[in-house]
Amino acid sequence: MPNNPFMLTCKQVSEALAHKNYSELPRLKRWALLLHVKLCPICGKFNQQIMRSQEMFSRYKDQESSGLHSEHNLERASKEQLKKQLQQAMEAQSKQQAPER
Amino acid sequence: MAKKTEIAPPETWVDRYGDYLYGFAMSRLRNPDAAHDCVQDTFLAAIKALDRFDGSRDIKFWLRGIMRNKIVDQIRRSVKENKVDIQAEDEALIESFWFKYSGIATTNPDPWQFNPRKHYDNSEFWVIFDRCIQQVKEPARQAFILRVLEDLSTEEVCKVMNISSNYLWVLLHRARSQLKTLIEANWTGSDAK
Repeated sequence: MPNNPFMLTCKQVSEALAHKNYSELPRLKRWALLLHVKLCPICGKFNQQIMRSQEMFSRYKDQESSGLHSEHNLERASKEQLKKQLQQAMEAQSKQQAPER
Repeated sequence: MAKKTEIAPPETWVDRYGDYLYGFAMSRLRNPDAAHDCVQDTFLAAIKALDRFDGSRDIKFWLRGIMRNKIVDQIRRSVKENKVDIQAEDEALIESFWFKYSGIATTNPDPWQFNPRKHYDNSEFWVIFDRCIQQVKEPARQAFILRVLEDLSTEEVCKVMNISSNYLWVLLHRARSQLKTLIEANWTGSDAK
C-alpha cells in the first residue's frame, strides 16, 4: 500500500466511494481521488460512473426534499380520513396529559 | 442558539405536509395503501412525540425524519418475510478478480447513451427518475432506498437486510446499473436515443 496520501490504490478509491459520496470526502482526498480516476485505466471509468451516479442521486434527493417532482398526491377521501385520525389522536393525547382530578 | 420556528398546529398537517410525505412514501413503498399507512403512522407517532420537538427546524423535516424510521421498519419486516438470498452471479462478482483487487465490477462499463447532467434542471427528468426507482428489482431496490435515499450507513443497511458489506456493494451496483438502463429506456428528451 503506498505511503503517499496522494497515491491511492484502486481498492482505496472504490472503498472510499462505497462508504461516502465523493462530495462529502475531505478536500485533499477528493483531489487525490479525482486525479486517480481521471488517469487510471483500470478503475477510472467505473468509479467515474459511480461519482456521476452519486451526483445524480444527490440532485434527486434535493428535488424530492423540495417536494417539486412528485406526481403522487393523497386522494381527498384519504386526507379526510387522516384528519379524523389526527383529531382523535390529539384528543386522546390531551386527555392523557390532563392532570388527574 | 438556534432560532425556534413556529410549529404548524397538527390539525393543519394533513393539508400542509400530507402530499409531501406521501410522495416520499410512494417512491419507496410503491403501493398506495402502504404509503397511506406510512403517512398515517408518521403523523400518529409525531403527535405522541410532539413535546420532544424543539422547533429548531421546519417541522416538515422532523416529520420526514419520523417517516424515515417507518420506512426502515417496513423494509426490515419485508426482508424478514422474504429472506435475501445471494444469487450465484452475485457471488461470482464478489469472487471476481476485479472486485477483489480493485473494488470494481468491470474496467469498461457501458457509457451513458445521453448526458443526464443536462437535464438536472428539468422536473420531467426527475419524474421519470422516480418512476424508474420503483421498477428496480428487489433486493437491489431495498438496498438503494436504505443506503442512498435514506442515508443509512453501510453497517446499518447490512444489519437491517442481514447481508455482508460485499453483498451490499453488489446490490448497489445492480441498482445503479438497472436505474441507468431504465432511465435510458424511459427518457424521451431531445437527446434520447
